[in-house]
Amino acid sequence: MRFMMLMIPKGYEKAKAGGMPDAKVVAEMMRYNKSLQQAGVLLALDGLHPPSMGARISFSGGEPLVTDGPFSEAKEVIGGYWMIQVRSKQEAIEWACRCPGSEEFVIEIRQVQEMADFPPDVQQAAAGFPELQLGRGPA
Amino acid sequence: MRFMMITKEHQQPSSDAMPDAKGAATMMKYMESLEKAGVLLAFDGLRSAAMGAQVSFSGEKPVVTDGPFSEAKEVIGGYWMIQVNSKEEAIAWAKRCPAFPDFAIEIRQVVEFSDFPAEVQEAAALYPKLKARCRDRSRA
Repeated sequence: MRFMMLMIPKGYEKAKAGGMPDAKVVAEMMRYNKSLQQAGVLLALDGLHPPSMGARISFSGGEPLVTDGPFSEAKEVIGGYWMIQVRSKQEAIEWACRCPGSEEFVIEIRQVQEMADFPPDVQQAAAGFPELQLGRGPA
Repeated sequence: MRFMMITKEHQQPSSDAMPDAKGAATMMKYMESLEKAGVLLAFDGLRSAAMGAQVSFSGEKPVVTDGPFSEAKEVIGGYWMIQVNSKEEAIAWAKRCPAFPDFAIEIRQVVEFSDFPAEVQEAAALYPKLKARCRDRSRA
């Protein structure tokens, strides 16, 4: 089963562009990342620049509305993610609990959709696009 | 430059919001256009928040809470990872996404190893190798 562990650091919604993490904190996180990789569970990982470098598009009827970051209503945003392959949600939770860090943060664990999860008619709709393998995950 | 286009939606707390066939077909056409333009790196949908969990770290031991998360107003439905030349290009692609009711796309720039200053690159020296091994693994 694949799970995404979404890192939600407290206050990241207000982080300025170009802020750099502490080298010691990075080294500790790299040890964690390495342990995921050595256990054979790590499928992908990425860090995300803060929302001040992003944008938001809302679709609520008419034209899509574009708002440049930061997003004033946002109370929490993602700072990065890991995609892991494990045997159960409990195993994913155990991995998340091992994440290092002295600041306040939350990790949200979400199961990733696989083709087999979709109802038959949706699978059929997807079958018409062989070059897009649903559930192929990060490259 | 890589960007994640993250879908945000208001989910019914207990439902597993699965697409219907018509919605899926419309979405597949959009993704096909991303693929044909050569910008699509990856994509995934996520199962409902009700099926997930949260681990909070605020001092002592991590605290685990099973989904759904009552305080959440918006949840992530899925993402596309794209490679484009600018944020404006990423925005243009996001605007072409077929609209579903009450839904938004958050565009976030992905950190590249070269974005880090030298001392952080040193601490994160393993990062490029880890990324390379991830790609090998997901193709296996």
